[in-house]
Amino acid sequence: MFAAFVIAAKDLRQRFRDRSALVLGFVAPVAVAALMSFAFSGVESFHADIALVDNDRGQIAVALRGALTGPELSDVLTVRDAADDAEARRMVDAGDAGAGLIIPAGFSAAAVGDKPIGLRVLGNPDEPLQAQVARAVADAYVAQLNADRLSVTTALAAGFPESRAAELAAAVANLQLPESVQAQPTGYRQLRTASYYAPAMGIMFVLFAIGFTARDYFTEQRTGTLERIGAAPVTRGVVLLGKSLAAFVYSVVSLGTLAIVSSLAFDAEWGPPAAALALILAFSAVLVALTALVVAIARTERQADGLATIVTFVLLLLGGNFVLLSQAPEMLRRLALLTPNGWALRGFTDLATGAGATSAIVPVLVILGMAALLGTIAAVVGQRRPA
Amino acid sequence: MAESTVPVLAASRLGKRFGERVAVDDVSFEVAPGETYGLLGPNGAGKTTTIRLVCGLLRADAGEVRIAGTPVGTTSTAAKRRIGYVPQEIALYPDLTARENLRFFGRLYGLRGTPLNRRVGEVLELIGLSDRATDRVESFSGGMKRRLNIGAGLLHEPTLLVLDEPTVGVDPQSRHAVMESVRSFGATGMAVLYTTHYMEEAERLCDRVGIIDHGKLVAEGTRRELVAKLGERDRITLSAAGDLGVLADRCRDLAGVDRADVKDGEVQLLAADGRRLLPGVLEAAERSGLSLRSVEVDEPDLEAVFLHLTGTALRE
Repeated sequence: MFAAFVIAAKDLRQRFRDRSALVLGFVAPVAVAALMSFAFSGVESFHADIALVDNDRGQIAVALRGALTGPELSDVLTVRDAADDAEARRMVDAGDAGAGLIIPAGFSAAAVGDKPIGLRVLGNPDEPLQAQVARAVADAYVAQLNADRLSVTTALAAGFPESRAAELAAAVANLQLPESVQAQPTGYRQLRTASYYAPAMGIMFVLFAIGFTARDYFTEQRTGTLERIGAAPVTRGVVLLGKSLAAFVYSVVSLGTLAIVSSLAFDAEWGPPAAALALILAFSAVLVALTALVVAIARTERQADGLATIVTFVLLLLGGNFVLLSQAPEMLRRLALLTPNGWALRGFTDLATGAGATSAIVPVLVILGMAALLGTIAAVVGQRRPA
Repeated sequence: MAESTVPVLAASRLGKRFGERVAVDDVSFEVAPGETYGLLGPNGAGKTTTIRLVCGLLRADAGEVRIAGTPVGTTSTAAKRRIGYVPQEIALYPDLTARENLRFFGRLYGLRGTPLNRRVGEVLELIGLSDRATDRVESFSGGMKRRLNIGAGLLHEPTLLVLDEPTVGVDPQSRHAVMESVRSFGATGMAVLYTTHYMEEAERLCDRVGIIDHGKLVAEGTRRELVAKLGERDRITLSAAGDLGVLADRCRDLAGVDRADVKDGEVQLLAADGRRLLPGVLEAAERSGLSLRSVEVDEPDLEAVFLHLTGTALRE
């Protein structure tokens, strides 16, 4: 067992002495994560200005205004009052507001009536995202309102005095929809780009380690050092354990360093340290398994190089390391869950958005399962390999 | 009592095949304490496969290897601890220093702390690299690397040192240094298994020689014993211009000639008494219409033994 540590220490000494490995493992992830965060910083600092016209002045209109100006939306939404529809249109056209929301007269009364009245949204073609936000807000509020109307209608049908309908409407206005669909990530904070691209780039660069670890193995085989180690009183299992340990430690140190540096330098959120560490350890385990698989399949340095490149780029493209998965098409989000890096990013994203440490349990278990599967395949393929 | 009677290395009926190709076929030999045993054969004869079986790097299909009575296997470690393996290639890490390389291989054999540091210092002194201990191996000359390659096999003071063609591709000066080192190991009581396809190395260094060809150990013994197997034959080498095959055929018909072959643009004859045969050989050359350029008569040596046993020149 001591020999495994000796081999791992030697491999790490060589790895950390190699400038290209240092750059790939430590400098490049930090630099690229910083670059990506800077390039996509607009996504996280999104803010909508909405011109609001209240032609109703009723209780429900006031409640809507209160919801729009409340603390939950204050980070992403600013309401600018407009006297009438024309002023709202002017504000939107002039760019003083990204979108307009018009509450029609009779809106509150319609809540208890038979004829529903909708909210109107004014959009600016130059600010499609803001119009989309205004529409989403309107949709959500109307959905709530319809639920309220259903409640009032049901109460009246059950014999509630019609003379107290206004009182009933005010009461149901305070109710919330009992269920709502929550999109991933599961946290409550907005995802900062640095919080996504720091782990994404870290994972990308440690995936490159598959290539140079596999290459090192075949270099050792070619130069005879692997055979020389095999002639020493160590079993083949100990040799493989030592080499795996080195790859594992390199990955953990690389991702760990990136976590610390990106937290301090770019305010990247990695969530509870224990959960983030569990994800890093699990991902490092699957990295070792992937490397073992490449070594087991390849026969030469060149083959190992090519195979590792293919594996790395397929995983990166499917796993979502280059795009924010939460904004990616559904198909890509599904494909990402076939990859260990996709699961790792899902875990890191949940942690970064404030989901608790327990949110990392499923990603960690899935990644460890993938590591076990890949490791088993590598062992089977390796056993069949001629001596 | 038992210590002196148990051979350091006992290889018994070893067999190894790779697919249809038989690499090692029923090979048995022993190496006594302090003895230098040479495994002699051309490239591809099975020397390196035999070495790899001895060192537990390959699993034998048949037979077994014992080091001081302990069986060797790919998973056993007790016997491996007694072996110092020096591969044919420079099996070192060029990006590590000489000291770091030695410390690494020493640790693999269980050396730690003060004993490790002491042995690393001793070996660096022995191979003459103390002043370059902290330099990276990539900055070393070929000869220095070769010395360090051997040094890495000596760290744990093995009972058996196995050297696989340690002088291949080495300049004459380094080759001489390597041979002097091997000679000194034998003097310290260490058993040495030395493979080579250089005849003069085997003759100079080895107490006994095993000749291996096509995976089989075709002869074994001291130089004197092996030469005796030839019946004290001399070797006559004729260099001539013209059809050498005709000359070889005529010489083959001469009384006292056991063998006549054309090799490397020369006719090589094996005979009981080369000097007495010379007049007949000269006459045969004249009758063949060839003008001889040179005639050499050599005392029997290992190369002649090898030629006799295998019908092949050793360096082919």
